[in-house]
Amino acid sequence: MNLLKKPVKSGESFKNTSMAARGEPALWTMGGTLALGVLMIIAFLILVVWNGIITFYPGGIEQIILNDGSMIAGEIRRSESYRPSDDILKTVNTEWKEKIRRNKGVAERTLFKTGNYDLYNEDFKWVDEFNIRERTNPENIYYFERVEWGPFIGFIEKVELGGRTDIRPENLADRLESEHEKAVERRQKIGVIEKKKISDINHSLEEERLELKRVELAEGVDSDPYREAKQAYQEKTETLMAKYKKLQDEAENLKQENSQFKLTLKEIGGQKKTLLLSEIVRFYAANQLSLLDKLGVYFSRWLEFLTAEPREANTEGGVMPAIFGTLTMTLLLVMAVAPFGVVAALYLREYAKQGHLVSVVRISVNNLAGVPSIVYGVFGLGFFAYTIGGSIDTLFYPEKLPNPTFGTGGLLWASLTLALLTVPVVIVATEEALAAVPQSLREGSLACGASKWQTIKNIVIPKALPGILTGLILAMARGAGEVAPLMLVGVVKMAPELPFDGYFPFVHLERSFMHLGFHIFDVGFQSRNAEAGKPMVFVTTLLLITLVAVMNAVSIHIRNRLNRRFSAGHF
Amino acid sequence: MDQLVELNNETEETVYHFQEGPEGTVIEIDDFSLWYGDKQALFNNRIDIQKGLVTALIGPSGCGKSTLLRSLNRMNDLIEGLRTGGRICLNSQNIFDKNIDVISLRKRMGMVFQKPNPFPMSIAENVTYPLKVDGVRDKNVLAETVERTLKGAALWDEVKDRLKENALGLSGGQQQRLCIARAIAAEPDVLLMDEPCSALDPLATIKIEDLINELRGKFTIVIVTHNMQQAARVSDNTAFMYLGKIIEYGKTQTVFTKPGSQKTQDYVTGRFG
Repeated sequence: MNLLKKPVKSGESFKNTSMAARGEPALWTMGGTLALGVLMIIAFLILVVWNGIITFYPGGIEQIILNDGSMIAGEIRRSESYRPSDDILKTVNTEWKEKIRRNKGVAERTLFKTGNYDLYNEDFKWVDEFNIRERTNPENIYYFERVEWGPFIGFIEKVELGGRTDIRPENLADRLESEHEKAVERRQKIGVIEKKKISDINHSLEEERLELKRVELAEGVDSDPYREAKQAYQEKTETLMAKYKKLQDEAENLKQENSQFKLTLKEIGGQKKTLLLSEIVRFYAANQLSLLDKLGVYFSRWLEFLTAEPREANTEGGVMPAIFGTLTMTLLLVMAVAPFGVVAALYLREYAKQGHLVSVVRISVNNLAGVPSIVYGVFGLGFFAYTIGGSIDTLFYPEKLPNPTFGTGGLLWASLTLALLTVPVVIVATEEALAAVPQSLREGSLACGASKWQTIKNIVIPKALPGILTGLILAMARGAGEVAPLMLVGVVKMAPELPFDGYFPFVHLERSFMHLGFHIFDVGFQSRNAEAGKPMVFVTTLLLITLVAVMNAVSIHIRNRLNRRFSAGHF
Repeated sequence: MDQLVELNNETEETVYHFQEGPEGTVIEIDDFSLWYGDKQALFNNRIDIQKGLVTALIGPSGCGKSTLLRSLNRMNDLIEGLRTGGRICLNSQNIFDKNIDVISLRKRMGMVFQKPNPFPMSIAENVTYPLKVDGVRDKNVLAETVERTLKGAALWDEVKDRLKENALGLSGGQQQRLCIARAIAAEPDVLLMDEPCSALDPLATIKIEDLINELRGKFTIVIVTHNMQQAARVSDNTAFMYLGKIIEYGKTQTVFTKPGSQKTQDYVTGRFG
């Protein structure tokens, strides 16, 4: 029988089947939806990656003379079109007025990063195109990144190195470079003394004080042991104070030395500013940089970003503590959620009698995944920090009270809160992985005389492991990107100390910590100048995405290696 | 076939003419019935399985032969709502007795399944699994077992160079022989085979059948099969089951040539099934 109603050209043999029956519209809808999703993801990635990558690249500095004769110097940030109001248009000369009118009332304006926040009270300035009389790129204008007050853009007026001001101009650049390095070294030395050594002494002082308090709590104020302890405490305190004094002197000397190396700078408007060499992070003559120099600046900024601590309310400097906090928290989260979720799922799937109760439990677990994460934060604060942490404090750290140790937000409580948040993901994934283990394997093991537990341990879990790990990876990704609950249970804008240090017990899970996700929020929306924080938002986002991607890649790699072991081998 | 008419076969008497083994009975199935919830699947079955012989269970799909086989090592325990009646005795001990340890029962009953189910581990680990779960850790004993059982399962020559490789890399027939090796590793009293060749190609099937012939005498084998020719080739005694009831239990040759029951006659001559 001929299926064709009439002879057709090749390739048209199925024309008679209606389009809907062939699923053509469905195919197009599905394909289109997927394409739209992929497009949005790509656009998002391009936005983040591009903005993240260009932020640290040094631009040139342009000098602008405005119509009223005043001058501005700065890095160009971006340009945009806008519609100037009538008030502004009144001040515009006729030539520009005509131009703007022809352009339907739209004019261009450019955002300059002018720096010099201490002098101008702003970091950025919009300049209208019709307000510009002249633009130049002065050769000898410098860009200084300072430890405080953000960047300074201006000219070097006077140089004083070691008390001498008579430096020959041809040596100036090299001398500045080397003296700057030395000054930074001294600054870092002061930092070590103030942060590390003096904090060592403070730590010892605190230990002594707590020891005395312990004796007081145990024996009472009116007892011999207390009087002895008090005596010892005073002696030790004196020695420590003497050490403290010595270190302070040492730091003072270095500061004294640093104060002999300074620059007098002049901004474009003529205001002068004296700056210690040691207060400069890096400086460069923006308009004289070769490509290589620019790349040098670029990578040194990245290095600082990745390894240094934040400065300037997080808008400058690095994010090392936040990287560290994010990684540690995610690791702890996985360590907490893995046994908890897997064991719960094992019982639910392998041992529990499948009935109404198990169904209710399963539905509740699934619903937990839909609870707003901030609610977990509230729960974590109330249950972990205040209830459990508070009890730990009264039991083990009574001498520190009323200052809380575990009784407030911290790394441990944040990890446990996120573990709770992600446990449904792990339970669901583990249950599915366990259900996917063929019944024939279980029967084979049981028929060999293995008990149920031996079967689960030797056959079921190894076979389900890749699926279980997939669940853990999902949980990890979810946990690493979560911010809202963390704000309640231990993440802070600026953590004074890392959770690991040289003081016993070396790991301090009770400490508050920094987190990249919260850092993005803080830099972008809580800093003094949103414009200054904006580039950092993108860089930090890029970093967080990279970090999550790397963690996922590592765990997927581990899972795939296990997968190869437990699935049909192709030798 | 009009099944409604045939459903009253619970009252029908089983025809017996089985061949007695040299060492007598090893498994005594005595008035054994089984229910899945409210549905009865086995009806008052009574046969004696002879030690050292190969006993085949044949019958149309759903007649309960697999259920009966899986009752022998209590694999059916995994099913919820299962009830049994009557007794099954292994060496005169009722395996449904409350005091019976199911785990040690299964250690005395090796089982081979319909589809090869090697564990996702190495060939050697597969074979030693029954010993390991039994607590054997002696490397010499384990190595000796690997060689002995793989030779016993006619697999040694094919895999002796790759004992450490994943068992899932073997072909279907090799996997099934590996499963037989695993089943005999702990030296069980009885070897249960649940359609061991149904997932294999003809050549692999021949190898398994040869293996069964070799194992005859060393183990008591109970084999469930769909394939009547296979039953005729490998077994000493054959039990024909229909709708949960053993219709005839007798010497294989006789069952296939001069059956004592009309139903057996109809089945073996291909009138239904």
